[in-house]
Amino acid sequence: MITPEMLEDPQKVTWCTGCGNHGILAALKKAVIELDRPVHEVAISSGIGCSSKIPHYIGGVNSIHTLHGRPIPIATGMHVVNTNLDVIVHTGDGDCLAEGLGHFVHAARRNVNLAVFIHNNGVNGLTKGQFSPSAPRGYISKTSPPPPGAPMDPVNPTAQAITAGATFVARGFSGDQKGLVKLMVEAIRHKGFAVIDILQPCVTWNHQLTWKYYNEHTYSLQDNDHDLTDKFQALAKAMENGDRYPVGVFYKVERPDLASGMALPDKGALKDHPTDLKDVQKIIDDLML
Amino acid sequence: MEISFNIGGEAGQGIDTIGDLLTQVFVQAGFYTFTIKDFESRIRGGYNFTQIRVSDKPIHASVDHIDVIIALSKDAVVGQRDRLTEGGVIIFDEGIEFDDLEACHFSAPLEKTAREVGGNIKMMNAAALGAIIAIINFPFTLVEQVLSDLFGRKGEKIVTANVDVAKAMYDLTKSNFMGTCKYNLESLERGPSKDKLILTGNKALALGAIAANLKWISSYPMSPSTSAFQDIVEHAFDLKIGALQTEDEIASLGMAIGASYAGARSMVTTSGGGFSLMVEALGLAAMTETPVVIYNAQRPGPSTGLPTRTEQADLLFMTFASQGEFPRIILAPKDPIEGFDVATRAFNLADKFQIPVMIMGDQYFADSVMNIPRIDVSGVKRDYGKLAKKGPDPDYKRYLLTKDGISPRAFPGDEGKTVVSSGNVHREDGHITEDPKLRALMVEKFMNKIPAIMADLEPPKIFGNEKAEITLLTWGSTWGAANEAMQILASNGASINQLHFCDVYPLRTVKLREVFTTAKQVIAVEQNITSQFAQLVKMQTGLEVTQHVNKYDGRPMTPGWIISELKEASIV
Repeated sequence: MITPEMLEDPQKVTWCTGCGNHGILAALKKAVIELDRPVHEVAISSGIGCSSKIPHYIGGVNSIHTLHGRPIPIATGMHVVNTNLDVIVHTGDGDCLAEGLGHFVHAARRNVNLAVFIHNNGVNGLTKGQFSPSAPRGYISKTSPPPPGAPMDPVNPTAQAITAGATFVARGFSGDQKGLVKLMVEAIRHKGFAVIDILQPCVTWNHQLTWKYYNEHTYSLQDNDHDLTDKFQALAKAMENGDRYPVGVFYKVERPDLASGMALPDKGALKDHPTDLKDVQKIIDDLML
Repeated sequence: MEISFNIGGEAGQGIDTIGDLLTQVFVQAGFYTFTIKDFESRIRGGYNFTQIRVSDKPIHASVDHIDVIIALSKDAVVGQRDRLTEGGVIIFDEGIEFDDLEACHFSAPLEKTAREVGGNIKMMNAAALGAIIAIINFPFTLVEQVLSDLFGRKGEKIVTANVDVAKAMYDLTKSNFMGTCKYNLESLERGPSKDKLILTGNKALALGAIAANLKWISSYPMSPSTSAFQDIVEHAFDLKIGALQTEDEIASLGMAIGASYAGARSMVTTSGGGFSLMVEALGLAAMTETPVVIYNAQRPGPSTGLPTRTEQADLLFMTFASQGEFPRIILAPKDPIEGFDVATRAFNLADKFQIPVMIMGDQYFADSVMNIPRIDVSGVKRDYGKLAKKGPDPDYKRYLLTKDGISPRAFPGDEGKTVVSSGNVHREDGHITEDPKLRALMVEKFMNKIPAIMADLEPPKIFGNEKAEITLLTWGSTWGAANEAMQILASNGASINQLHFCDVYPLRTVKLREVFTTAKQVIAVEQNITSQFAQLVKMQTGLEVTQHVNKYDGRPMTPGWIISELKEASIV
């Protein structure tokens, strides 16, 4: 049993007051408790940015805080050599959808068994307010002054995930704790590449995508008869990106995951399955003339 | 006995197969062989060759002259005939027309015999082998054996057809070839070599990695490293090795770091261009003290350079790659025998010191083929370094400050321990900090590892007379050509030796200082234009190499080339 005390912050949280990340951290702790798995079998890989500092604010959980855009490859390596682990990726829009977008798409098509939580606020916060890949066209920031603001359309993470081959795609909102915890648990338990696009206002830099804005512009997919297994319906909902944001599970199907196609031992973790030197000697001897 | 063959033609014509067959004949017969592959970056066409040197003495380099040319295309004659020795023979398919044909050269119906006797022009390989064996008067019996070894898996019919083609061509050559080859090997049925393991450097490295208990490899194909990756992937299913071709080299090293953090020995293979993309993750491996092995099979750069050619010009790049300061190890095997050993050592060193270990090969090392003695893996030691005690430990700290800078490792999944790592500056428990004292302590922690690393590395070796006046300074794959050049010159009376480094960095300096005291001249022999190793020596010791032999045309050095360079500079 995991208790809230076990997960107490090892460090003082450095996020701004009112930041959407607080809600994600609270939800993550509740999700880890609800998972009801041995805590030593949970591991987080995070990238760089405000989002990716989360491992330092949750105690008792294994973690590696990595490079900008790269938490998914690192998590992939962790997962395959020890499939007993529940590997969770915490990343931001600036992390995952900029430098990390290539890794994101490839991990989705591999259907690697990870839960990827994108802290999405439309802005590069830690570098102090530049537009991120998920900022809307026209978004005004330090690196996209008016006119015309951000001169391009945003990356759509849910649509990207669905078309690339992710088998669990959802959107959560930091302001909806109950819903987010439920999504997180489901994503971690899902066997395959699970993505949650988590809407989380940056109260310091983003005055467009605010708490008020999201409270007024989100609605629940699950309350509206959405078919989880229909890829095209999921994609249509994912493309609804503008005035109204659907929240909940877009897409959920079962497909072979990466590990099932790899040379893993029948029992136990790959890391605990040493190669027998006798087998190596046989390979060498078979090469002999 | 010494003889060299050059088999040339277009990519896709099967020159590699002829080369493999011929090598096997001589290895079976007890000779030493050394084969280089010279090929263009294309799938079909062009002009490629395989050059095989055969000797009754151990050899570690290629030579400039050729005794027998086997040409499947016109370019294969034109490209090589200037290198043919007096009394040498060119065997070429009769379909190639020449107006300046000399009598000693043999226009052979290779394609015709393959088609008519074997029913398949692919059997030109067997025909060429038959012709070669006839010309040098070597016994045909060995041909049957190697054809059955190579084609055995395809069934008896294929073997018989190939043997028939080879025999037909052999007989035809015996009765029709009017020239004489100075190499009459009729009396020479057996050589002294018992070395029956035919390996490239890449394959030896792959076997070493497997023996070292490699459990994860993630790579992106890049010449000339690719075959090392493939040689591991080939055994992944049977041995249970996680292997993945990634989207790019950034992901490759990222995954390898993740795998190692989670407790598996991991590796990436690449060339310089791919390593450029890995530099970011190299820093992460260093900062998180995650062991990982990086193999760079160098090729000429910058940028795409010459994809299928050789160079040693990434040394300083690899020595100093990444922002920040941290310990790393660089090993440069000289040949396949050392390649196996270096691979097994690399994993132990990486685990022991929790740092990135880089193996530097090059196309010459990667693709050259030698027959070596059987590798006995019973001597392979697996040293995983300092590991945390089993069982719960709520106070476990991944970066515990210790005297030697090395903290016991634990892994996610270990019950009762929390393993926290970060690419940011971190505290002993792995959580991030900006505290100036801790920052300084953590940098010192890295550097405190260096004395023990130095003690663990192999010192350089002196070959030849310890007290010689001239020293050739080499590292990595140029050992063979330089060693033979040194031996030839020494046997002709020159006072010359060779100081060679396999373990390149951190630099062991004791022997260097000795040599710079004894020798009157120290000459850097490097496959690059700026003598990068000599630069490293100067930077670390102040000792200055003033004479240089550099090759940077993408083609490997030969002993003859080194000797002529030394003569031209009036050094010998």
